[in-house]
Amino acid sequence: MLIANNISKTYENEKIIDKVSLSIKAGEMTVLIGPSGGGKSTLLRILSMLTPPDEGEIILNDNKYKFPLPKNINEISPRPWPELTAVFQQLFLWPHMTLRENIIFPALNILNEEEAKKELDELIELFDMASFIDKYPNETSGGQRQRAAIARALILQPSYIMLDEVTSALDIEQAAKVLDILKKLKKKNISILLITHHVNFAKDVANQIIFLDKGKIIESGGAEILIEPKNKRLKQFLSIIESTS
Amino acid sequence: MSVLDIIIDYHMAFLNGLLVTVQLCAIIWSVGIIIGTLTAIGSIKYHKIIGIPARIFSFILSGIPILVFLYWLHYPAQSIFDLVIDPFYTAALTLTIVNIFGVYDLVREALENFPKQYLTAAKVTGLSKKQTIFKVQLPLIIRQVLPGLLLLQVIMLHTTLFASLISVEEIFRAAQRINAHIYKPVEIYTALGIFFLIICLPINGFAM
Ligand SMILES: Nc1ncnc2c1ncn2[C@@H]1O[C@H](COP(=O)(O)OP(=O)(O)OP(=O)(O)O)[C@@H](O)[C@H]1O
Ligand SMILES: [Mg+2]
Repeated sequence: MLIANNISKTYENEKIIDKVSLSIKAGEMTVLIGPSGGGKSTLLRILSMLTPPDEGEIILNDNKYKFPLPKNINEISPRPWPELTAVFQQLFLWPHMTLRENIIFPALNILNEEEAKKELDELIELFDMASFIDKYPNETSGGQRQRAAIARALILQPSYIMLDEVTSALDIEQAAKVLDILKKLKKKNISILLITHHVNFAKDVANQIIFLDKGKIIESGGAEILIEPKNKRLKQFLSIIESTS
Repeated sequence: MSVLDIIIDYHMAFLNGLLVTVQLCAIIWSVGIIIGTLTAIGSIKYHKIIGIPARIFSFILSGIPILVFLYWLHYPAQSIFDLVIDPFYTAALTLTIVNIFGVYDLVREALENFPKQYLTAAKVTGLSKKQTIFKVQLPLIIRQVLPGLLLLQVIMLHTTLFASLISVEEIFRAAQRINAHIYKPVEIYTALGIFFLIICLPINGFAM
């Protein structure tokens, strides 16, 4: 279980995240939606412990992280990764390694060579990566890199995975495939935090939907908030999304 | 007398000069690269104690002609401190300092501009700090710095010619001596150029 209490973050005198509290239960999928600039990516970076918030606390399983961090400490401890991991839209593959090496190298910290190879073979199959797995990132397409980046996270067998618009660079078919894989992860008891514009997917699969605007949670709940939103802002947001998709 | 004749007839004089040039370079290159790199790393870690002074010094140094710096360390500085240092070491020291700050600038820039997302990726995939430094940062920084670094080393090789002006018996001085004998400047300096080409081509080739 991941619990965030009263998280706030200010950039340049502007409150980007404003006293946000939420919890992500084991094996559940939480989807973050909201307008551009509303603070979704910032919140995801905070929850994946990459950006320390100005205030608040995050409880991950048995560990409590209080913010701000004490003076002279600028690293959180214990390190929550890769048990908790994240994938971003800007692909962070290492350019001096092939996609295969990108995936295998971190995996060898938790798996032996044989297991890692077996897992990778399954992922290659699953994401249809055989034709480009031995290429370097700069020799592949955005969609191919995106799939490799997701595979790199999955091979680490995380309990929490946070994904920031990872389907945006994919075509409809590939995006559907990735979403389908996420659906399967849920069954494996992996907790997922997803930022996406696929509202219909959220309606079908998500356990919890959070609408974030101007750094605040405006409305949250199950699929019903997408079907019958109470808040005017959310209504408006959904109608805009509907009219463009 | 052709260029080839000159190389054949005076090869001993050229080789002796070349040996001094190579010795100079060995010092300038090795100390410059090691200390320059360490200074750059230190300047990121200890911004106030190392970073700011190094930057100021590098800025000033870049505005002083190497020749002036060399001459200044050779004569006035030694007379102020009442020292007599072998010109070879004066030249080695001067050019090493120049190289240190050249290397420092290159490496510091690569460190400062290192894309943070690669470190973020290392974090979320659970790499240890050691793995992050040696398997992610180092290889990427070496790739970025190497061409500029090799070019700088070739330039440093060329600036060793200045050492002849404070009477270091390196290859340019050897060429001047031969020229004083037979007065064939075009052929002699062409021969000198050929020696340099032989050294520089592999380095330049490697840089590409
Ligand atoms: N490192 C930073 N420094 C300063 N401002 C930042 C920083 N990161 C984010 N911001 C600001 O915070 C606000 C929220 O950004 P964020 O990326 O979280 O939005 P988002 O909801 O993910 O938007 P999008 O849907 O466009 O991705 C923006 O106004 C952005 O300019
Ligand atoms: Mg975003």
